[in-house]
Amino acid sequence: MADFNHKVLVIGSGAGGAMAAYTLAKAGHKVLMLEAGRDYDPKIETPMFKRKSDAPLMAAGNKDKNFGFYDATVDGGWQVPNEPYTSAKDSDFMWWRSRMLGGRTNHWGRYSLRFSQHDFKGKSRDGLGADWPFDYEDIAPWYDKTEEIVGVCGTNTGLDDMPSSSEGVLQPPPKPRIPELLMAAAAKKHNIQAVPMHRAVLTRPKDNRAACFYATPCGHGCSIGAAFQTTTSLIPLAKETGNLQVITDAMVKSVDVDKEGKVIGVTYVDKPSGDEHSVVSKVVILAASACESARLLLNSKSHKFPKGLANSSGQVGHNLMDSTGASLGALIPSLKGRPRYNEDGHTANHLFIPWWGHKAQAKGELDFPRGYHFEVGSGFHEPGSWVSGELDGYGVKLKQQARDHYGAYIGFALRGEMLPNKHSYMEIDDEAKDKWGIPVAKFHFKWSDHELKQIEHGLKTAKLLLESMGAEVDELPPAEKAISKGGQIIHEVGTTRMGSSAKDSVTNQWGQTWDCHNLFVMDAGVFASNPHKNCTLTIMTLAMRNASWLAEQLDKGAL
Amino acid sequence: MTVPNNSHYYESGMSRRESLKWLGILAAGSTMATLSGCSKATDIVAGATGHWPDLDLPAITAKGYGQDPNLIVPLESPWPRTLSVEQLNLVAILSDIIVPREADIPSASEVMVPDVVDEWVSAPYSSQQRDRMTIMAVLAWIDDEAKLRFNKLFSALSHTQQIAIIDDIAYDSEQKPAEFERATQAFARFRNLVLGAFFCSPQGNLDIGYMGNVAIAGDYPGPTPEARQHLKSVLDELGLSEFAYLEES
Repeated sequence: MADFNHKVLVIGSGAGGAMAAYTLAKAGHKVLMLEAGRDYDPKIETPMFKRKSDAPLMAAGNKDKNFGFYDATVDGGWQVPNEPYTSAKDSDFMWWRSRMLGGRTNHWGRYSLRFSQHDFKGKSRDGLGADWPFDYEDIAPWYDKTEEIVGVCGTNTGLDDMPSSSEGVLQPPPKPRIPELLMAAAAKKHNIQAVPMHRAVLTRPKDNRAACFYATPCGHGCSIGAAFQTTTSLIPLAKETGNLQVITDAMVKSVDVDKEGKVIGVTYVDKPSGDEHSVVSKVVILAASACESARLLLNSKSHKFPKGLANSSGQVGHNLMDSTGASLGALIPSLKGRPRYNEDGHTANHLFIPWWGHKAQAKGELDFPRGYHFEVGSGFHEPGSWVSGELDGYGVKLKQQARDHYGAYIGFALRGEMLPNKHSYMEIDDEAKDKWGIPVAKFHFKWSDHELKQIEHGLKTAKLLLESMGAEVDELPPAEKAISKGGQIIHEVGTTRMGSSAKDSVTNQWGQTWDCHNLFVMDAGVFASNPHKNCTLTIMTLAMRNASWLAEQLDKGAL
Repeated sequence: MTVPNNSHYYESGMSRRESLKWLGILAAGSTMATLSGCSKATDIVAGATGHWPDLDLPAITAKGYGQDPNLIVPLESPWPRTLSVEQLNLVAILSDIIVPREADIPSASEVMVPDVVDEWVSAPYSSQQRDRMTIMAVLAWIDDEAKLRFNKLFSALSHTQQIAIIDDIAYDSEQKPAEFERATQAFARFRNLVLGAFFCSPQGNLDIGYMGNVAIAGDYPGPTPEARQHLKSVLDELGLSEFAYLEES
């Protein structure tokens, strides 16, 4: 390590950190990456083809493995050992973290939808939230490049909610399954279009990664590299250049500055020994996740930066947003006992419903400003620890009922845009510290009427579609009850937002902090808004674009 | 107490995950569990709302498997089992009433469902602990009810006698007598666990018709012609044919 002479330090190895490191390493810059979790190799650690019956408790989730035994989350979930967080009174925020190389990209849903000009300029349109400091056309080529290296399957639908990728970028999507085809017809009846999902799963081989063989849930990780995670793609590719070195189990405690306030490096705790080390670096990139990076900045106080580093705007920790979530499902009587076939596919949505309401919103026909999409749960999944439906009785008749109900349910999961509000933010807890002595994050969270009205609309729409498929749907729950908890959808963003002015944002459009020119943020903290589309593709696209800009600055000697 | 005539209904020699260590753990577990699952006959009082066992179960003190377990070779016995031989036997009889053998399809106990139930109720996690309270109570209730009605443990009853009790707690309806209400709710939880444990076994997967978890070379083939034909009839029946999704060829 001593003779490596890195120029850039990257904190975090997930979507943003790995893409930044890959981009810089490819451009010939030496990068040292610090990851708070342990080393992780999907090639040997992924439980491919494992049956639920091979796992304790039929692989059901619990406090140790919240998303089930096989979920590719190490030392993480809603709680991380020795690293608590707190919530303010009346706030119930959930914070998902993992402590492993590759971070949350090892288990993510892989849904990869582009944000559009409509998404980037919401404030110009309806006066709410904040605009992003660039236009869609500035970022479109970077979406292409990112989709190409990540490997995204899907089609160009031409819909206003789904900007097209350049010719040849997307890989072919898998064929839809029966319940998805039924759902699509029911939606079409109401002028709502279902289309192929865009997903970071290879259907054609790429680099050293194989195409999907349509078995084993992607959430387990993917030993063949078909489902994108940084540990089988960006990190090994960056290492191949000889320009990336990685230190795992390195929990960064502070970003350090000199007397003039220039960032000189970071201090981290080597978790196994508990020893503290300082690393100097010409440039520091934070990509520890939105809330972890904001926590780090707020904990890096100095004479020059008494409110925390890069926080002259006072915006660090503010504008905390998640996606809205709600779900509604029902038994579809006509699907009972339907013909069996293998419905694993790429193990998530082949079809979904993008937001169809841009025009209605423009005409003022809807009472909520921002959109949502529906993901659709259905199919012949591997049976698990419980059987759905209220089944009565016992014996042969009961078994027949269970067989009939299998694969006959359709559920809609809404994912919607949340607007920033002054009640939703994070700060540093006055008292609580983690095992390493680092003060912990404290969350404040509240949904506003914008989100509740959106949920109400979504539930009504889901009910309409289910009824069009012949289902009986009970009375709908009120939106306040149906809506997910803050953080629960795991799309937390906005805590170090980018903007066009140092007054109300933390970074410029390049993720460069206004206050420290050699300090960058390249995770979802920089999001100026949180469109309903899942955040990871845009995290990676911004990281690629901004690390490319940074590489140019380094080449020019500008930093 | 009558000596059960089918007390060896279930032979739990190995865990479903083929553990060789399992026997030792069971021995340790069963001494700990004592016979708390069976009320003393004299204590049972059947009133209008029925009887309900007041169990004093020893706490589960084991640790979970932690947040970084080996996923490739899962622990065979992540925590000590707590069901006694008698309780396992009762679980087996009930499991096979719920999921009996059908021709070539094995019964629940033949695919080791009682071991899965034992692992479940012995687990040190909150939802399993809640289920443990429910399931241990209904197991005790069933034996108590057997004693009240027939002066024998459930396992010692004839099949007809057993079914007479199960019929009273296997169906939920508004006319259900109050005395069976709690037992009905608790039995429903037990039944769902048994069904899950059965259908997620390899034989259960086959029975319910799960055909995935096999590698496919080339593109995902999508629905079979038979499945498409069925969809066509469903769309017709629901008046959705004109809105059918057009797939790219």
